[in-house]
Amino acid sequence: MEHDPAVIAGVCLVAEKAIMRAVDLSVGTRNQLQRLHPLTVGVNCSSPSVDMYLTIDAEGAVSVASYREEAATVSLAGSWKDFVGVAAADDPASALINGNIQISGDTAPLLRLQTVLADLDIDWEAPLTEALGSVAGHQLANVIRAFTRTSKSTHQRLKRQLSEFILEEGRLSPPQAEQNAFFSAVDDLVLRVDRADSRLKRIKKRLAGLSG
Amino acid sequence: MSTQDNTTDDTTDFGFERVKKEEKAGRVREVFDSVASQYDLMNDLMSGGLHRLWKRFTIELSSVRPGQTVLDIAGGTGDLAAKFSNLVGKDGNVILSDINAAMLSVGRDRLIDKGALNNISVVQADAQFLPFEDNSIDCITIAFGLRNVTDKAKALASMNRVLKPGGRLLVLEFSKPVSPLLSKIYDAYSFSALPAMGKIIANDADSYRYLAESIRKHPDQETLLEMVEDAGFVDCRYHNMTGGIVAVHRGIKG
Repeated sequence: MEHDPAVIAGVCLVAEKAIMRAVDLSVGTRNQLQRLHPLTVGVNCSSPSVDMYLTIDAEGAVSVASYREEAATVSLAGSWKDFVGVAAADDPASALINGNIQISGDTAPLLRLQTVLADLDIDWEAPLTEALGSVAGHQLANVIRAFTRTSKSTHQRLKRQLSEFILEEGRLSPPQAEQNAFFSAVDDLVLRVDRADSRLKRIKKRLAGLSG
Repeated sequence: MSTQDNTTDDTTDFGFERVKKEEKAGRVREVFDSVASQYDLMNDLMSGGLHRLWKRFTIELSSVRPGQTVLDIAGGTGDLAAKFSNLVGKDGNVILSDINAAMLSVGRDRLIDKGALNNISVVQADAQFLPFEDNSIDCITIAFGLRNVTDKAKALASMNRVLKPGGRLLVLEFSKPVSPLLSKIYDAYSFSALPAMGKIIANDADSYRYLAESIRKHPDQETLLEMVEDAGFVDCRYHNMTGGIVAVHRGIKG
């Protein structure tokens, strides 16, 4: 199904504005993006069928477009679910490489872009001060900073404690080393089965030759 | 002789009226003189801001690169020209052109306010008789302007003449909604709400009634596509936007 170009242009506009706002509020990010120029990342989503191109210009500004004739530096193709999976993953770079998304082109700048985005540190103080005045804006920004710090460390602590509970208390999952040893043993078994299978085929072939 | 846009040897459409060809430019000028100062505000109100998205997609289709020359015909208040100015960079050139001096004046003031005049030239010109050398322009855009041109075929031929081989033409214009239901809603909106808004905001209901009428008299998607092809363009296609209320036609000079 073909989508209305005006709707896609609207989505691109909103995405571009949001990205640029975040970039402008994060100290140093624009300079880091400038170093990635020229870079165009093409996102070809198959279901729903939507193409988007994210381009970084010489000033480090990011533009998002729905149509482009020149080839992108790197293109990512997959379904909407695949892209959501990557965005929600703990390690998006690893999820991108190991997932169902097909990547073509130069992946090095894409990984650098992923690092820049991961380091994005948005400081809300400037827009809050503009909207609420210097005293209230500063206080609210402090609250947001404290909340962000607390929620980040709480999330990490919870993750660690949950992992410890699963491993130590509940014994619901074997330790990582044990898992690795098991996976290696499975890999080894697969290799041995493959070897045995090919040996069997060779013997069968030889037997067929003798009887013929 | 009659062309596909209802223009005969001596008369043409001015909204639902038939007027002499030599009268149309003057009548259109009166309309745009009247609406120039409120043009952008009215566009935002009438389209609910959608005209910005239609223009944004048109700019994407242009595939303009740094160093190129872009001609924006009927560029009016200069919103497309400002965007092209960033795309072509300091080595490129954007020509903002309009037949109407009042619209150009508003456009030039806006561009000065945005600090975007370094690579933009402002030219008052009739789209039928473009005052530029043959094969000199990389990309031509005409957004919501073609329906006001007296002889559209002549204007398209003039655009073909000044484009470089391989250069592209983009015509963004109101068109025919693809769904009958949307068409009815759109008609009701155009002939009742639009003049009322024009009366309240710009104190000029007649000009906005003309805009609605001129949209209905403008060729539909397929007819305009044929006209673009007849003017000598190749690889012609169009994209409907917002259910066909607007379409952008693209042609390449062969």
